[in-house]
Amino acid sequence: MRVHDFVCGAALLLVAVFLFTYAQTIPPMPGQKYGADVFPILVSLGLGGFSLLLMARGWRARRPGEPWIALAPWARDSYTLGNFLLALAVIVVYVLFEETIGFIPLAIAILLLLFLKQGVPFRRSAIVAVVATLTIQFAFSDLLRVPLPRGILTDWLW
Amino acid sequence: MDAIIGALGLIADPYVLLLICLASAFGLFVGAMPGLTATMATALLVPVTFFMPPIPAMAVIVTASAMAIFAGDIPGALLRIPGTPASAAYTEEAYAMTAKGQAETALGAGVVFSAIGGIFGTLVLATSAPALAEVALRFSSFEYFWLVCLGLTCAVFIAQADLVKGMLALFIGLGVALIGVENPAGLPRFTFGFTAMLSGVELIPAMVGMFAIAEVLRVMSAAVIRLPPAHTVSGSIFRGQWALARRYPLQILRGSTVGTLIGALPGAGADIASYITYATAKRFSKEPEKFGTGHPEGIVESGAANNAAVSGAWIPALVFGIPGDSITAIVIGVLYIKNIIPGPMVFVNQPQVVTGIFVLFLVANLVMVPFGWVAIKLAKRILQVPREILMPLVLLFCIVGAFAVTNSPFAIGVMLVFGVVGFVMEEHGFPIAPVILGLILGPMLEQNFVTSMIKTDGSFLGFFQRPIAGALGAVTLLVWGLMAWQGVRALRKRRSAPEDADQLQMR
Repeated sequence: MRVHDFVCGAALLLVAVFLFTYAQTIPPMPGQKYGADVFPILVSLGLGGFSLLLMARGWRARRPGEPWIALAPWARDSYTLGNFLLALAVIVVYVLFEETIGFIPLAIAILLLLFLKQGVPFRRSAIVAVVATLTIQFAFSDLLRVPLPRGILTDWLW
Repeated sequence: MDAIIGALGLIADPYVLLLICLASAFGLFVGAMPGLTATMATALLVPVTFFMPPIPAMAVIVTASAMAIFAGDIPGALLRIPGTPASAAYTEEAYAMTAKGQAETALGAGVVFSAIGGIFGTLVLATSAPALAEVALRFSSFEYFWLVCLGLTCAVFIAQADLVKGMLALFIGLGVALIGVENPAGLPRFTFGFTAMLSGVELIPAMVGMFAIAEVLRVMSAAVIRLPPAHTVSGSIFRGQWALARRYPLQILRGSTVGTLIGALPGAGADIASYITYATAKRFSKEPEKFGTGHPEGIVESGAANNAAVSGAWIPALVFGIPGDSITAIVIGVLYIKNIIPGPMVFVNQPQVVTGIFVLFLVANLVMVPFGWVAIKLAKRILQVPREILMPLVLLFCIVGAFAVTNSPFAIGVMLVFGVVGFVMEEHGFPIAPVILGLILGPMLEQNFVTSMIKTDGSFLGFFQRPIAGALGAVTLLVWGLMAWQGVRALRKRRSAPEDADQLQMR
C-alpha cells in the first residue's frame, strides 16, 4: 500500500488533534502552573504543524489523477502479499493461543508454515522447525529461565 | 589505573570470554547476511542480555555490534550486496576490486582498517567521556533540556533527506513516550484504562518491533532474489595491508576522526559516517578518477570510519544518556533495565562499568582481526544460508525475545504494532531512528522542560542565563534556523522546478 503524502499528513493531523484535546483533560499539578498537560500540548502542536506542512507539500506535488492510495508492487503480487500477511498472522495467533497450546507446538507450527509458504522442501522445513524450536526452548526456558508457556505439554515437559 | 585493572579482572572471567566469542560469531553472521543489520543484531541480543550482569551484557552488545559493522563488508566485496547499510557506501568499490581479482585485499582492508578505526574511536571514547562527564556533573535541567533538544534536532537534521518526515517521525516518538505515569505529576496519561500501559511503552519490544520485525516484513514482502554464488577467497587477506596503511595514513586518521565525531552526534551512526568519509576520501584524493574502478583508498577511509562511529556513539550515550546511533539507543534501554542510568553519575558511582566498556571495545576490535579472518574464509558457506529459512527463525526469536522481557504476551503485541508501524513508515519514506530517539528521550525532555519552566516561573529567558545552557540553546536555535531556511529554500526550488519535486517526493 502506498498512501499519498497528503493523506499521511491528514491522518497525523487527526492524531495531533486527538492529543491536543486529550491533553485538555489532564488535571493541572496542584500549586504549579506547569504540570503533566504542558508537554502533550507542545507535542500535539509540533505534530500538527509538521502534518500541515506535509499536507501542503503533498497537495502541491500531486499530479492530476494521481491516486490518494495505491497498492505497492508487493501488495499486488499474491506470493509476496501472502508472505507478508502470514508473517503478521502467525504473531497474532501466537499471542492468542500461547497459553492454551504452548510454545513448542505453536513454534513448530509457525516455522513449518512460514517455511512451506516460501517454498522450502517439507523434509528440510520439518527438521529445521523442530531443531530450532527445541534449541530456543532449551536456551530460554532452561538456561535463561523464561517461563515459556507449556500449554498442552504441561504434564510432559521436564 | 585501579579501575583499569579492576575492569580487566571483570573481563578476564572465562564466562565473559566465552560470551565474547559467541557474540563475535553471532555479530559476524548477522552482519554478513544481507538484510540483517547491526542494529538488528543488537536488538535480537537484548532479551538474552536481559538475564546477565552488566559487564557480560555489555560485552555481548559491544562485540556483536563492532563485528557486525565490519562483517557488512564481506558480502559487499563478494556479492556486491552490502551486509549492513554501513558498508553500502563502498560496496561498488569493493566489488570492483573483487572483479579485478583483489578480493583478498579488499576484505583484508575491511578487517584491518575496521579494527584500527574501532580502536581509534575507543581511545577517543575513553579519554573524552570521563572529561565530559566531569563537566556534565554541573549540568542542571536547563543544560539537559537544550542538550536533548540539540540531540533530537541533530538526529533529524543530519540523517534525513526529508526534514518534514524526519520531524514527524520524531514527534510520533515523543507522542508515544507520553503514554504512562512517567511524567512530572505522575498522572496516568493516554493509558485508556489499560494497566499494562501504566508503565508506558516498553522500550525493548518497541525496538525489536521497529528494527527486527519491520525488517522481517520487508524481506518477506520483497520478491525472492537468488543470491549469486559468492567468490571464493583463497589468498592471504593480510598481504599488502601494511603497504596500504603506509600509503594512506592521512585517510586512516581522517576516517577515524570524522567517523568518531559523526558517531558521537545523536542519531547519525556508522552508515552516515561511511557515506561522508567515502565522499571526503574521493574529494581530497590525489587520484579521484580511480574511485569506482576498484581503488582501495575509499575503503580504507570509510572502513575505518564506520567502526570508529560505533565507538563514538557511546560518548553521548554514556555521558548524557543521549544515544549517538540506533545501537546505543538499544544500549540505553538495556542499561536502564540493569538499573544503570546513563549520565555523568555513572562515572562516579559505577566507574568499573564505564572502564569495563572501554576495555571491552579494545578487546572487541582486537579479536576482530582473527575472527574476521575466519569469517572471510567461511564467507561462501555463510552466504549460502537461504533467507526463506532465516527470516522465520528471526521472527520466532523476536516473539520469544519480546516475551522474555516482561513475561507477558502484551509485549509481543507491542512488538507487532511497532513492527507494522515501522514497516509502513519506511514504505512511505519516514525514517525510523527519530521515533526511537523520541521514545527514549521524551521523558527526559519533558522532565527537564517542566522543571526548568517551574524554576523560571515560565520565563523562557531563564533558559539562556547559565553560560553553558545559553551556548547550547544558541546552537540549537541556530540549527533550527538553518533547518527552516533549508525548508524554505527547498520549497522555492520546488516551485520553480516541479519535476525535481517529484523526485524529492520519491525519496
